[in-house]
Amino acid sequence: MTLLLAVRNVFRHRTRSLITLAAIAIGGASVIFVGGFFENMFFKMRESYIKGHTGHIQVYRAGFLEKGSSRPFDYLIENPQEIVPLIREIPGVIRVTQRLQFSGMISTGDNTVSCLVQGVEPLYEPSIRQSDAQNPREDLAEVGGAVIEAGDPLDEGHPYGTILGRGLAAGLDAKVGDALVLVANTVSGAINAFDISVQGIFFTSAKVFDDHVLRMPLDTAQQLLYTNAVQTLVIMLERTEDTPRITRQLQARFRERGLPLEVKTWEEINDFYTKTRELFDRMYVILKFVIALIVILSIYNTMTMAVMERTNEIGTMMALGTKRSGVLRLFIVEGVVLGVIGGMLGVLLGSAVTSIVGSIGITMPPAPGSSITWLSKPMVVPSVLAFAFLLSLVTAVVSSAYPAYRASRLEIAEALRHV
Amino acid sequence: MSLVAVEQVTKVYTIGNAQVHALRGVSLTVDVGAFLAIVGPSGSGKTTLLNLIGCLESATQGAVHLDGQDVSRLSNDALATFRAHHLGFIFQTFNLFPVLTALENVEYPLYAKPLSRRERRRLAMEALEHVGLRDHAAHKPMELSGGQRQRVAIARAVVAKPKLVLADEPTANLDYATGQEILRLMRRINEEQHTTVIFSTHDQRVMQMASRIVGLRDGVIAEDGR
Repeated sequence: MTLLLAVRNVFRHRTRSLITLAAIAIGGASVIFVGGFFENMFFKMRESYIKGHTGHIQVYRAGFLEKGSSRPFDYLIENPQEIVPLIREIPGVIRVTQRLQFSGMISTGDNTVSCLVQGVEPLYEPSIRQSDAQNPREDLAEVGGAVIEAGDPLDEGHPYGTILGRGLAAGLDAKVGDALVLVANTVSGAINAFDISVQGIFFTSAKVFDDHVLRMPLDTAQQLLYTNAVQTLVIMLERTEDTPRITRQLQARFRERGLPLEVKTWEEINDFYTKTRELFDRMYVILKFVIALIVILSIYNTMTMAVMERTNEIGTMMALGTKRSGVLRLFIVEGVVLGVIGGMLGVLLGSAVTSIVGSIGITMPPAPGSSITWLSKPMVVPSVLAFAFLLSLVTAVVSSAYPAYRASRLEIAEALRHV
Repeated sequence: MSLVAVEQVTKVYTIGNAQVHALRGVSLTVDVGAFLAIVGPSGSGKTTLLNLIGCLESATQGAVHLDGQDVSRLSNDALATFRAHHLGFIFQTFNLFPVLTALENVEYPLYAKPLSRRERRRLAMEALEHVGLRDHAAHKPMELSGGQRQRVAIARAVVAKPKLVLADEPTANLDYATGQEILRLMRRINEEQHTTVIFSTHDQRVMQMASRIVGLRDGVIAEDGR
């Protein structure tokens, strides 16, 4: 009876109920849309960092992260060719690439600047020509890696061909085809210099990176430094979600064999991502709170009006033997009915809007520290849908609690006089 | 045997700083099977007396016994249960639930009893038939005339077989002929089912149908004619 009465009462004033339901639904849909927007932003940010910079997992010589910055060449992996196969045979690993990173000076003859040199394996470091991507400004992050905006990517056939970050090239005033001199310390402390050429100019999603980095083939970098060692092994996985599992497997393998190596995941390396995520999560909480508040006020208003208008009816119910708890229950159930219907409408509306916008995409300005625009494609996230529905329900119950309580405290005789 | 015993009851309302004495020491006993009219000008205390007998509010002083039980000692919940099982109410403004059909309105008091859905439906249908509205079971109150609404309200008041039905100005919102018809219906139920009925009215012609007339004036009983 309570449910029957509640449902009928909710639809008694169609316009008013529709406005209240719209408030709940729009609130829920906003939570879903913003949640989907953030989720997509973090997904792209994460994937672009992983593909363009850090990989999923990095392996170093133990101690490198603590002391490597002052004495980088004391913490090199001397036998990468023995370790790489150990990693490669773990299921889920798609690529292991070696890197040797050091600082150097480059000179055009007129201009000399310091830079960060990355010796990388041309075959395995992902990069793409801008002209090859259908719409390079749009979805760089999904393509991942470095985008070559002029010239060619690194290749094994050109050991002295290097690629320069966009900002670095601009600072040097260097163009594709220019000859440069690269000077660096060898691992034993002597000074060595190579003639190199600018084979290409690249950019990534991180501006700071593009301002300082020069990439060259690993073999050439090792010759320059008089070493066969590498600094970092960068591991790419099939699925980002496998990171914790494979990290544990790697640690176990290294321990079994007594290899002095340490393992870091992309999350541990990308402090910027983790911090940004925390910041946005906090903002999202505030947004949810504000939405909940608006929905609460809207339902509260509807329920208070309902109690006032139905004072006489409440008196009649109690005269006919309905207990105060029964009146309380009726109005709470009316709130729940509003919450359930509003929540379902919100889930439908939110999923629809999110997937429509997600299929079209919104062009977004460059992220902090980045130089390229990107395309946001909000995603429908099941856990966010569930949360939005629950939020509607809980706010509905919370906001009908006080009006329901007031209804249940009415004096019968007084309520019956009320017309 | 008396069904209702009101003993030296006073009722004082405090409105702002003013005290209004609605009843100033009223004593009244009503026998089982009575068809009693409470009459008097407006403000004489008719509604207050009916509310006290109906356990809708409590007396400032004095006691009300219903069916041998001192209801002034019962808790709110116990009073609700007592009303559900022993009392029926008819109101001046009919007070049907607008969102429920005639049949659902009549069923409403039966939810306090442990009945199956079918049994509830059957009893409600029977009561509706008794007031001649079987064909209007599926109608909402808005679709019924004033007289029909009051007949649904009567069916609702008697469906749970209460010992006592209280009706506050049941004919005041109806034209004369319809009011007569409603009173005759209440009288018939009183006679057929031996349900005690107490109603208030200020209509001279209506009160003639009563088996006993109690006149109130300024919160005291001015006349009591059997």
